[in-house]
Amino acid sequence: MASPISVYNSNALDTHISSTSRESLKMELLADVSLLPGEDRIIDKDIIYICPFNGAVKGKVLITNYRLYFKSSDADVAVMLDVPLGAISRVEKMGGASSRGENSYGLDITCKDMRNLRFALKQEGHSRRDIFELLFKYAFPLSHSLPLFAYVTQEKYEESGWNIYKPMEEFRRQGLPNNKWRITFINKNYELCDTYPTVLAVPFKSKDEDLRRVAAFRSRGRIPVLSWIHRENQAVIVRCSQPLVGMSGKRNKDDERYLDMIREANDTPKLTIYDARPNVNAVANKATGGGYEGDEYQNAELIFLDIQNIHVMRESLKKLKDIVYPNVEESHWLSSLESTHWLEHVKLVLSGAIQVADKVSSGNSVVVHCSDGWDRTAQLTSLAMLMLDSHYRTLRGFQVLIEKEWISFGHKFASRIGHGDKNHADQDRSPIFVQFIDCVWQMTKQFPTAFEFNERLLLTILDHLYSCRFGTFLYNCENARDQHEVRSKAVSLWSLVNSKMDIYLNPFYTPESGRVLYPVASMRHLELWVTYYIRWNPRIQQQQQSPVEQRYKELLALRDEYLKKLEELQLSDSSPSSRLANSSTPNTSSTSSTPSQQYTHLQTPL
Amino acid sequence: MLTGSKTTFKVRQMLPDIKERMLSQSGVNARSRDVFGLRCLPGECVLQRAVMVRKKLTAREGRGWLSGTLFCTHFRVAFVPQDSPRPDDNADPVLLGDHDVALASIEKVVVVGPNRTKLVTPNSSLKFTPEELVLYCRDLRVICFLFDRLTPDAQVLEITYTIAKTYQPPKPGSVLSFQNAALGSVEMKQFLSNRRRNAHMNWYESVSDWEQELERCGAMGWRVSSVNDRFEMSTSLSRFIVVPHKVLDTELKKSFAHFNEGRIPRWCWRHPRGSDLLRMASFQNNIYHEKDDIRNLEMILFGCQSSLCVVVELAEELPSPADIQLAHSRLRALCLGDISTSVSVPDDKWLSTLESTHWLDYTRSCLKKASEVACLLRGGHLTVALQEADDRDLSCVVSSLVQVMCDPHCRTQHGFQSLVQKEWVMAGHRFYSRINYHRDNDKEEAPVFLLFLDCVWQLLSQYPSRFQLTDDFLLALHDSIHLPLFSSFLANCQRERCKRSQNLGQSYTPVNGWRDMLHPDSSSDPCDPPLPPVWDWDLQYSKHRRDRFTQPVPPVPPLQPLLNGNLNTNPDTHRLADTLPGSVFLLSRGTFSCPANLLPWRSTSSGPYKKSHRRAASSENVPGLERLLKAWALTEFPQALTSTSGPQGPLDPYEPLLPLLMGPCMGLWRECYLRGALHAQAFSHPISANHLHPVERLAQEVQQLKDKLAQVSTGTDGIPSTKTAEPRRTDANLNQNTNNGTFLFPAVRPQSKAAPRMTPPPTSTTTNHQQTSRGPPPASAPPSRPVRRDNGGGSNSGNKHTFLFGHSSVTEARTYPAPNNAKLPKSNGPSLAS
Repeated sequence: MASPISVYNSNALDTHISSTSRESLKMELLADVSLLPGEDRIIDKDIIYICPFNGAVKGKVLITNYRLYFKSSDADVAVMLDVPLGAISRVEKMGGASSRGENSYGLDITCKDMRNLRFALKQEGHSRRDIFELLFKYAFPLSHSLPLFAYVTQEKYEESGWNIYKPMEEFRRQGLPNNKWRITFINKNYELCDTYPTVLAVPFKSKDEDLRRVAAFRSRGRIPVLSWIHRENQAVIVRCSQPLVGMSGKRNKDDERYLDMIREANDTPKLTIYDARPNVNAVANKATGGGYEGDEYQNAELIFLDIQNIHVMRESLKKLKDIVYPNVEESHWLSSLESTHWLEHVKLVLSGAIQVADKVSSGNSVVVHCSDGWDRTAQLTSLAMLMLDSHYRTLRGFQVLIEKEWISFGHKFASRIGHGDKNHADQDRSPIFVQFIDCVWQMTKQFPTAFEFNERLLLTILDHLYSCRFGTFLYNCENARDQHEVRSKAVSLWSLVNSKMDIYLNPFYTPESGRVLYPVASMRHLELWVTYYIRWNPRIQQQQQSPVEQRYKELLALRDEYLKKLEELQLSDSSPSSRLANSSTPNTSSTSSTPSQQYTHLQTPL
Repeated sequence: MLTGSKTTFKVRQMLPDIKERMLSQSGVNARSRDVFGLRCLPGECVLQRAVMVRKKLTAREGRGWLSGTLFCTHFRVAFVPQDSPRPDDNADPVLLGDHDVALASIEKVVVVGPNRTKLVTPNSSLKFTPEELVLYCRDLRVICFLFDRLTPDAQVLEITYTIAKTYQPPKPGSVLSFQNAALGSVEMKQFLSNRRRNAHMNWYESVSDWEQELERCGAMGWRVSSVNDRFEMSTSLSRFIVVPHKVLDTELKKSFAHFNEGRIPRWCWRHPRGSDLLRMASFQNNIYHEKDDIRNLEMILFGCQSSLCVVVELAEELPSPADIQLAHSRLRALCLGDISTSVSVPDDKWLSTLESTHWLDYTRSCLKKASEVACLLRGGHLTVALQEADDRDLSCVVSSLVQVMCDPHCRTQHGFQSLVQKEWVMAGHRFYSRINYHRDNDKEEAPVFLLFLDCVWQLLSQYPSRFQLTDDFLLALHDSIHLPLFSSFLANCQRERCKRSQNLGQSYTPVNGWRDMLHPDSSSDPCDPPLPPVWDWDLQYSKHRRDRFTQPVPPVPPLQPLLNGNLNTNPDTHRLADTLPGSVFLLSRGTFSCPANLLPWRSTSSGPYKKSHRRAASSENVPGLERLLKAWALTEFPQALTSTSGPQGPLDPYEPLLPLLMGPCMGLWRECYLRGALHAQAFSHPISANHLHPVERLAQEVQQLKDKLAQVSTGTDGIPSTKTAEPRRTDANLNQNTNNGTFLFPAVRPQSKAAPRMTPPPTSTTTNHQQTSRGPPPASAPPSRPVRRDNGGGSNSGNKHTFLFGHSSVTEARTYPAPNNAKLPKSNGPSLAS
């Protein structure tokens, strides 16, 4: 009865079982898997899936170079698993050839997406060795000198998602360059900072030599550069890494002057520096050469935002997994949830972003940094921009936001996620990006009409954060991406998303620009994202859609059907255009176009 | 500033002569309007006003501030925003405007001054000028007014004092004067006495009302008995009760003595698969069971099902009223916070503190019990009797929850109102004592009904598309509970209600002296204001608010009347039908048993039963029953549920909505409990009036496509008839859920007459299609169709926005119709001309 697959899964993961008869099901259990272009079968085998919800389920497993697919052979328990190998963080053997007890000999698979899988095999011969070795090899291709699947896939899309973000276009949209801010190509060859993008916006007055000197004083050369500018009051969000103050309390006049230039750009008395870390952590960083801006920075105030580091976040999510998978902690659920502190961390990130957004909307420029400026800093700047700028709340704008603040500014996706890497215990792993998406989800919950995209987009993004099917989240920075020619050799996730935008649209969306969204960052109003974290539990049903949403979907289907029919008719009719042209209503001109154009029509307010 | 306004007084002079003042006011200028735009009720007069006040808007209102004038009358604290449209003098009176709060709802008045806060009591004197006035309400609202520097200090102080003096801190006797203030004027009495009662709901006040319900449920074998017509059999039961056909009134009379308070097993509802739901109080012990009595008792208990009866004991796993009261008061304290005492739970302890209130545990246990009962009933052909000691609290909760889960009719506004009328008001839930309006009987106070509303909200939030009513409706009902104005809540049973309204008084002896509590001074005073039922929503709220009581899009599937009680598709029933006649089981803690003393007359010690009717405790039936419960556990798995929605597979409308009861699935009704939390108010992005809702836009587009298709296909003769044949089927399929209505508001439910306000002329898409495909319709036909449709959609759109989202501030909402209407002629231009 139960398929542990949430209905809201991204398309890649939910190849639904078509209704086949019992016989054909047994015979061709794996016939209906629709493989991606470039996806190849590696091995298939009879296996028992130890489902935590249904008990042991007999079936067949298929491993390709992209996925692990399991389907039960018993028609009464229709269990299907479709796991991209990229989502696997760890594969272990359980039980030995001599171990007793039913189903005690097999594989234990830990996934990055909040679930574990256990399979049992027959204790005969070396039935396990083959599958273990192949799975291990293809789940962690980089550890075996194999290419990631993103380089193997042959998927083709009409529109290339790589074009969604063009730095210059985005700066121009923000009204840059202007007489206070200039665009510099000083990092064209990643010489100034190897983890930054090539195109940077810096104060107009700053000279290239200044930038180089500032880079020497900022951790990993991540100098303060502009992320976003407020159109009316010209206040800016600037991001960077910590200053290299060290134990001795070094000063750097250039850095101090540079920050003052940022303040002068919109002529406010004070520049606010948000250090995302807790105060003590910032102090502790001095021991390793880092630190924070001291009193020597005149006209600047420093505020600590108390957000914990990557290790704390990783442990918190691990605790959350413990209480939701496989079984939800029933008694004292709320206390257990509280003790994971996950929501509290979400709250601190959100409230930090709110402070940033509030400062900027009141006309003061801000500088945001943490230690290296690629984890907490990315969370804060991108969330603040989401609150301030309605463009980022559109489907395409949100893609730009992720491309810009996360991907181009060097959030270390490769280290944090560990794509294709067998080293599951790596201390660099951390769900920072998941936490960001959680914050976005919290905002969409609090402002159901303010976002053009729906929950499904967020789930799709998180699924492909791990899947390695697209090049979007691979590697740590642009420099590495260029070296590995990701853009030319792999497909962008946004190609997939933008090829069927309709399923990611929020029918409640009402475009309204110029309003700053301040979500409530209080435990009283934050919720656990049940449909993500607990989606493998078959008892968590799909959140029922509201009737309006259902109606919207029906209408979409109707429209596509009519369009198709119209097309057919037009093909068969020699002179349809004249008849169409004099149709009655103003909308008509756009309605006869193709479906994809229809959507752009929907997005633009009438 | 205020000179010249004859209705303003210094509060100290004012208070003694309220009544006199009131009398002089009424009649002279019945529909009076204050010069500052407050639409007064007949006889209502303004005690104090303050200008240039700003009201803090809540989440639903779109947040921010709204400036206007604050009034205190002897009935309410009213707020009239600046530039609000002039009220229509001829409209019927509405007790509370969108920004008003009744004095009786206020629990605490707090002022915030520079660096300090102070609780204001009637005797307080303020040593500072308040900057903010905060009203804590019983219904968990917190209303906050900000005094601008422009508000004259004197007005600020005066209105604060006035509110503090008149808001009636809980003391016995204060309720009547409040009622008089609201409803006591001659005009108001006249107005109320002429009101027609809502004919769309069942009031269960007459024999025919009950018969109508029996018919609706297809319950054969039952009849309405008026044996309790004069409340002689049971004082707390309603006049009319439903009992098995085969039991005569004379036989019935003998059975009352066997039950606590005379509350014998009565029929409540029949599941479409033929099971009956009964309620009863606990058995009276120490009573001799004569042979005839036993025969009657068994007949009553088994109802129409001869074979199987399951007694569900409610006390064991459910919270007691005292538990509920404690949990609710903890929840209140937690959610409200309190700036006057500055006690607030730190945010990082919120979740565990919420857990320790046990409120969510109690909602869960009620839902669990109701789910079990729903699953039993689904099995078909058995009788489930809910048993509670006095059958007046949790029995109401469980019986009505079962019906909300199983009966789509109960998920409509009118169906729900009928349900509450049946299982609470008429069944004798002691609203009056449980709500404790006078704060004089704290021992009895327990918000059992509020717990029920929370349970319904949980169901609604898990199955939003299966309800026609909305959480706005639940919220309105929640708030009305705290207003001592409604006959529905101001009595403990029908008898008390009758006595009040008809003054039957003399022939009956008062029980518990309720009458004295209710009317300390003037119980039989014919001038008592007539109390309206709570269901008279027109009286309470503006149309704007009432429009949000129901979903803009009707629920899926179409709600049909229950046709007969023999919808029997469950294979399990056969197994159950085999059981020996007369088996009784007890369901307790999820397991079935047949303890010897379950029915006192069957227990060994008692009477003649032993000799004649001794039956084996047929434990072989237990597995069958347990399978029914297990079915519940299975349906918690998604496929059984998800297959019920979506365009494929029509779902069985009688499949119960079984809630998920895991921790993460139980939510807090934030819109109710947290709307007052001062430090944190989430708000929804207010929708702008200038855009059509995307669904509307899409609907228009689809309509145009269809028209075009019709045009094209009629032009190309022959071809379309084959081509459209197949799609037509899919078309019908797609609309199947929504009952083939129009695009935006697809279904017109046959029995609900509330729907028409949002439904354009019901033109089914299929018929439309048939027109187009069955040969060329007259040339004018296709264009004429959108006219009707667009008119429907257009005129609704103003409303729809607001009740879809319900967040736009009032000022915005008021300007709605203009842009939309302005748009209409444009898009309809050509067609209107034709």
